[in-house]
Amino acid sequence: MHIPDGFISPQTYLPAYALCAGLWWMGMHRLRARLDEATLPYVAVLTALSFVLMMVALPLPGGTTAHAAGIALLAVSLGVWMAFLAVSMVLAMQALLFGDGGITALAVNALAMGFLGSLSARITWRLLRPLHEGAALWLAGWVSVVLPALAVALVLGLQPVIAQDAAGKPLFFPFGLRVTLPALLMPHALVGVGEGILTWLGYRYLTRLRQRHAT
Amino acid sequence: MLELRDVDHRFNGNLALESVSLRVSAGERVVLLGTNGSGKSTLLKILDGLLTPTHGSYRYQGEDISPKRLRERGLNLRFRREVVLLFQNPDAMLFNPTVFDEIAFGPRQLRMPDVEERVRHWAQTVGVAAHLHKPPFSLSGGEKQKVCLAALLAVEPRLLLLDEPTSALDPRSTGWLVDFLAGLRITTITTTHNLSLAPELGRRALVLGENHRLLHDGPIEGLLGNLDLLLAANLAHVHKHRHGAVEHRHWHAHDWQ
Amino acid sequence: MHRANHHQALLLAYAGAILTATLVHEPRHLALGLLLVLILAGRQITRILLRTLRVVLLFNLTVSLGYVLLALLRHISPWDTLILINLRVLTLTCLTFLFIARVNLFQALGFSRTLTWLLVLAYSQALALKQVHEDFRLALVSRTPIRPSLRDRYRASAAAAAWLLDKGLAGAHQTALALRSRGFFDA
Repeated sequence: MHIPDGFISPQTYLPAYALCAGLWWMGMHRLRARLDEATLPYVAVLTALSFVLMMVALPLPGGTTAHAAGIALLAVSLGVWMAFLAVSMVLAMQALLFGDGGITALAVNALAMGFLGSLSARITWRLLRPLHEGAALWLAGWVSVVLPALAVALVLGLQPVIAQDAAGKPLFFPFGLRVTLPALLMPHALVGVGEGILTWLGYRYLTRLRQRHAT
Repeated sequence: MLELRDVDHRFNGNLALESVSLRVSAGERVVLLGTNGSGKSTLLKILDGLLTPTHGSYRYQGEDISPKRLRERGLNLRFRREVVLLFQNPDAMLFNPTVFDEIAFGPRQLRMPDVEERVRHWAQTVGVAAHLHKPPFSLSGGEKQKVCLAALLAVEPRLLLLDEPTSALDPRSTGWLVDFLAGLRITTITTTHNLSLAPELGRRALVLGENHRLLHDGPIEGLLGNLDLLLAANLAHVHKHRHGAVEHRHWHAHDWQ
Repeated sequence: MHRANHHQALLLAYAGAILTATLVHEPRHLALGLLLVLILAGRQITRILLRTLRVVLLFNLTVSLGYVLLALLRHISPWDTLILINLRVLTLTCLTFLFIARVNLFQALGFSRTLTWLLVLAYSQALALKQVHEDFRLALVSRTPIRPSLRDRYRASAAAAAWLLDKGLAGAHQTALALRSRGFFDA
C-alpha cells in the first residue's frame, strides 16, 4: 500500500495530517502516563524492529516472497498506541530517509494502517479471545490488513470527487470507488490470510519468549 | 585453488576493500588479520560467492564466481558443496527444528548416502552428540558454533572459510576450536583480530589494513616480527608500564591481557 | 546551532514546496517546478531521476494504462489528465529525493530533542538489525547448493524473525537502562 506522492489532494492530506498530529500527541501522552521512562526507547526500538521485520521475506511457492506488516502483532501484544506510534515512525522513516512511499500519503497511511489497523486488530482480539485464542489472533491479523485497505480505497476512490477541474476532470488519483474498492480489497483479503497466520505464530512465539525471559 | 585479481568492493559508495589480489593453493591454512571494519567479512563473503566485487575478478578452480554466475545450477551445486562459510554470528545459520536436522540439512540436500551415520559422526567429532534432539536456539553460543561447524563439514567441503570463529568463545572453547581446526585436512581461511591466536590458525598470514588494502601476505613469523606493520594495521598498540620504579613503553597485541 | 537552523529552514521550504506543487494544477507551471528541482539537483540529477523512476514507475504505469483504458471506454481524451498527474508525481518525488540528498533530517528536527533522539535511535537500530537480517539471508544462500524447499525457506525466515524479535526486545531494555544510567531522563 505504498502510494507515491501526487495522488492525494491537499483537501485530503491536510486534514489527515491535522488528525494524525492530534493522535500522535495523544499517543505519546497516554504512553508516558501508562509506562515509565522506558517508553521512548521502546517506541524507538519497536520501530526499528517493525521496520526490519517488514523486510523479512514470507516465502511463497515458486521462489517469490511477500512481506508482512506485523501491525496486528504489535497492537495485540503492546497496545494500540504503541503500535500506532511505531508504525507511524516506520512510515516516516521510509518516506523521509529512503524515499519509499509519499510524504503527502504519510498521514493517510499512518491513520489507515497505524491507527485503524491497530485499533481494529486490538478490538477483534479482545472480543474473540474468550471464544478461541487462535481464531481471534488470525482474525485480528486479517482485519488489520483489510480494514486499512478499505480506508485507503475510500480515500483514493473519493479523490476524483473531491478534486476536479472546471470540466470535471480529475486532478489527482483518477479512478472512482468502483475501481479502487475491488482493486485494493481483493488482493488484501488474500494477503490478510497470511498476515493472520503470522499474527498467530508471532504471538505464540512472543508469549514463549516472555516466559523464557521471566524465568 | 582460488584467485582474486585487483578486487575492490564498495557498499553504497563506502569503501570496504581496495585492490586486493591473492592466490590460495589447495591445502593451505591462511589466517586473515585485520581490525574491525577493515573488510575481512566482506572478503570472505566474496570468496563464498555471496557478494560481487565492485571491480576485479574472483576465480575458483578456474571458474569465474559471482552471485550472478551461481544462478547456473550445475556451478552452484559444485561450488556450494566445495566452499562453505562459517558466519561470525552462528544464529544466522541455524534454522532447523533440531540439531540433528541442522547437521543433516546439507547431506540431505545433496542426497548423500548414510545421512544418519554422517550426522552422528560429525556431532561426535565436534562434541554435540548429546544435543542432537534439542532445538539449536536452546544451546549456548559455543555449542551453536560447533553445530554450525558440524553442519558445514558434513558435506565434506574442500575450502572452509571462518569469520572470526573465536570472537565469542571462552578460553576453553577457543583452545578446543584451534586444536580442531589444526586437525582438519582441508584448505581453511580464517579471519581474526586476535594476534596471539593467529600462528595457531595458519602458517600464511594476510593483513588487511585500515585503508582496506592488503598490507602483508607471507609467513606468519615474518609478520609477528614486524612491529611497524602491526601498529599500522592497528593490530598491536604501545602503552606505558610501571615495573617498580621504572616506567617504560612496549608493544602489546590488543588481546593480550 | 547555525547549521541546525539552516537545515530547519530547508525543511520548511520543502514542506512549502510540496504544498505548492499540490495546489498548482497548470501542467506548464508544474513542468517549470520540475525543471527547477532538476537544476537544483545539479550533478546528482541522474541519481535523483533514477531513484524517482524506480519508486514511481510501477504505480504510475498501472494507473496511467488503466486510465487510458477508462478514457477509451468513456470516449474522452486521457492526455490532459495523464500529463498533469504524472508531472505532479515526478515533481513531488524528485523534490523529496533532492530533500533527502541535501538535508540532514536529524538536524532539521533539532527543534525537538525527543523527536531527534527517537529518530536517531530508531534509525541506527534499524540499520544494525538490517545488517543482521542480511546475514541471515546470505547464510541460507551459502548453505544451499540446491534451491531450498518452501519449508526450508519458511523455517529460515521464521528463525530470522524470531532472532530479531528476541534481540530487539532485549535491546530496548538495555537502551532504557543505558539512558537511565546516563541521566537522560533527569534533564
